[in-house]
Amino acid sequence: MDPDAQLVQQCLRGEGPAWEELVKRHTRRVFNLCYRFTGNPAEAEDLSQEVFLRIYRTLPSYRAAEGAFPTWLSSVTRNLLVDHYRRTKRDRVTDSIEDAMPQLEEKHSTARTPDRLALASELSAQLQTALGRLSPELREAVILRDLQQLEYEEIRAVLQVPEGTVKSRINRGRIELARVLKEMGVRPH
Amino acid sequence: MVWNCSQIEERLSDWLEGRLTPDEAQAFSTHSAGCRNCQELVENVQALVRGMESLEMVPEPAGLTRKILDATLGPRKQSSPREGWTRWIPAFWQPRLAMGAVTLAAIALIALQISGLKFARLRHTELSPVSVLNNANRQAHLVYAHTARFVSDLRVVYEIESRLQPQPEAEPPLQPPSLPEQQPQETNPQQKSQSERRRDRSQIRTDALVAELSPSPVMGDTWTRSSK
Repeated sequence: MDPDAQLVQQCLRGEGPAWEELVKRHTRRVFNLCYRFTGNPAEAEDLSQEVFLRIYRTLPSYRAAEGAFPTWLSSVTRNLLVDHYRRTKRDRVTDSIEDAMPQLEEKHSTARTPDRLALASELSAQLQTALGRLSPELREAVILRDLQQLEYEEIRAVLQVPEGTVKSRINRGRIELARVLKEMGVRPH
Repeated sequence: MVWNCSQIEERLSDWLEGRLTPDEAQAFSTHSAGCRNCQELVENVQALVRGMESLEMVPEPAGLTRKILDATLGPRKQSSPREGWTRWIPAFWQPRLAMGAVTLAAIALIALQISGLKFARLRHTELSPVSVLNNANRQAHLVYAHTARFVSDLRVVYEIESRLQPQPEAEPPLQPPSLPEQQPQETNPQQKSQSERRRDRSQIRTDALVAELSPSPVMGDTWTRSSK
């Protein structure tokens, strides 16, 4: 049996240490998904807690036969990010790329935040800034594929869209990201 | 097969991930080689994807896991991991074991007192079983001697008090409770001989210890000696 599926079974039997192990295994992955999508570490931390609370309450609904635990976890995280994005949409100017310039200053300040969190890679910080300029659909597709290393089938399950749509979003997201980084004067190598 | 720039852009990720057929891959490479814009786009996207794949995950903030566990399992006491023998401390540091620990400590103190060991000037010879036994024996006799002396003193005080108080004639004089060593004549002489001898030996030892404790004669000692 998959180790995560085994831990889930133990959690459902009420074994606290199994839940602790499950949380420790996946906290970083969930935090990264939230952080890369929101660009805000404090928001990402709060969202991560919400994700695990939701997982804790709905754990009996997980079925190992329907997919791996990390896929289900990513799906719950993504849905929560979408809900959060819609809730905070009115606080944003727009989510289109052309009108994202006013947000660029905010994203630059966000870029300083990764320094505060002691991020080693300059590309990581610049990437985070560039990701903020993508639309949510393209952003989540690139994050799931290139930063979370999910397979196309898993991304399809998370996003609940056809595989052709997944490929199209990933492709357009990568091209758009490369163009934004070029505008910022960043050349990944 | 000849491709244009929009087809290159559309199938870029398929080419990167090796999903093009041989003919498609050939058309892709041919156009890219001849178009500067497409060549630059392909190189930038290729470098970006390689860069993102090499990035490590951002470390989560310190304490996030604990916050998640507190929110789901409820607040828990944080305990730093113990090492070595200290790992056993929590197992024994419990209220239900407190009385047992106090009892053990009291027994140890009494045993130390009985053994007569003086830790300030402890020598290794004093730790031998014979030495400990002798010390314990000596301590026992000292305690017995103290008790005997105390009882004798009480008898003396009682006698004095009883003589000072006027006694009604009809009442027989009160007899103090008899101690074994005070009434040897009231028992069977034959049966008493061995026990009397044992009491004599014990009495001699007690007298010696009592004398050791109080060099000047006291009424208790006089009374005890005068019974012989």
